[in-house]
Amino acid sequence: MKPLTITICTGTTCYVMGSGYLLSLQEQIESACSRPIEIVGSSCLGLCKDGQYGCAPFVQIGSTVIAEATPEKIIETLKQQTARNPMEQI
Amino acid sequence: MNNRFFIEVDCARQNKHGQGAPGDVFLSQRDPDEGRIVCVLADGLGSGIKANVLATLTATMALKYVRSDMDICKAAGVIMSTLPVCSRRKIGYSTFTIADIHPDGRIRMMEYDNPPAVLLEGPTVLPLEKKSMEIQTAHLGPRPLFYSNFRAGQETRLVLFSDGLSQAGMGRPKTPLGWTAEKAVLFLREQIRRLPNISARQLCRAAVTEALRQDCLEAQDDISCAVIYFRRPRRLLVVTGPPIDSRKDPLLAARVAEFDGRKVICGGTTANLIARELGRTVQVDLSFLDPEIPPVSMLEGVDLVTEGTLTMSKTAQLLEQNQEPDLSRPNAAVRLMNILLESDQIEFVVGTKINEAHQDPNLPVELDIRRNLIRRIVWLLNEKYMKQASIEFV
Repeated sequence: MKPLTITICTGTTCYVMGSGYLLSLQEQIESACSRPIEIVGSSCLGLCKDGQYGCAPFVQIGSTVIAEATPEKIIETLKQQTARNPMEQI
Repeated sequence: MNNRFFIEVDCARQNKHGQGAPGDVFLSQRDPDEGRIVCVLADGLGSGIKANVLATLTATMALKYVRSDMDICKAAGVIMSTLPVCSRRKIGYSTFTIADIHPDGRIRMMEYDNPPAVLLEGPTVLPLEKKSMEIQTAHLGPRPLFYSNFRAGQETRLVLFSDGLSQAGMGRPKTPLGWTAEKAVLFLREQIRRLPNISARQLCRAAVTEALRQDCLEAQDDISCAVIYFRRPRRLLVVTGPPIDSRKDPLLAARVAEFDGRKVICGGTTANLIARELGRTVQVDLSFLDPEIPPVSMLEGVDLVTEGTLTMSKTAQLLEQNQEPDLSRPNAAVRLMNILLESDQIEFVVGTKINEAHQDPNLPVELDIRRNLIRRIVWLLNEKYMKQASIEFV
């Protein structure tokens, strides 16, 4: 199965609010949602600017933005997306 | 500001085993207008606090006297008579070497009882003509002081060291007379032969580490080595923050692309805008993660890309605390510090656009205003590390 890309913002605000911790959770997230994933860091995604997307830290999975991301929220989103498209890279 | 060559000054020191205070003191000061540098290495009698007081007094007075162009023999006599007298040995004594360096490479040097200073052009030792003069000391009578006047060219190094270095390992079966100044010079020449561009910082550290090894890692005396390196300036451009007017973005990107020297970008948004203008991509490098400092990124043609405020705050803190970058975790702040210290002429180009994302009062206070932060770093680089750093706001 093709690994699913999870983009984690490493901009200042996101890092201060805990995205650094999320970057190190590859194995835990992978085993919790039982499918291969790839964690990719990104320089500031620019989502924190206008409050439209909510608060940092931000994680992007495909076109879905997770605000105030936590490992639980990421796993939850992954499970939902896998249920919708079981075989595809989202 | 002298552009023909840059003069890098650094000193490495190791306290005598078991002593908390150094008995050797090295002071250097650059005159910001003239570019003149005065360096003093003083070794106080004994070790620990007593030696430190003697050496600090000597170095401070020598620095002041030389800067005010007082006759050096008279100054040396005054220093010797002013030093506090040791209750046990009944003398007040400290050795010193003073180098008064003109930005065009002319050097006036005064040596009193330290091992002779060495002038190296590449790995070759250049002979120094030294004139012996007599100074009057209160407790020891007339003593010889050696005066020399010479010119240093491109790629020369002036090396000063204390007797703790030349006598390291003394009394041990392999080195009954210690490492000796001759062997220490051979070691310096070998280092330069191996790494012709070795910085003053690395060379003085290498020499002190080797002396400590001769002493079986327990220094018998305070060990100091100072290197003054005359070389072609290593240029660095640090770009941080987007310009206030986005029409200047292409100009900033062109400046990065065309800069002759090493380049650093601090700030994700800045890195993104430069990548966009140059048609390149920024990739975050997750191979080293640090809990405090965001990871570095990679951008073709740029030597280091880091996050902005957090990284620079930490770098400023590290510079303030005199941290040793080679011994710290290699996070982005340490790598930034390393590249700053390995450069001579540093240009900071600071974008003044306000970062909306940092205006949230719930964020930590470390998110300092960029301009103040850079001013602090530039001040530290110029005053404490003797660099030629400048700021330009865009």
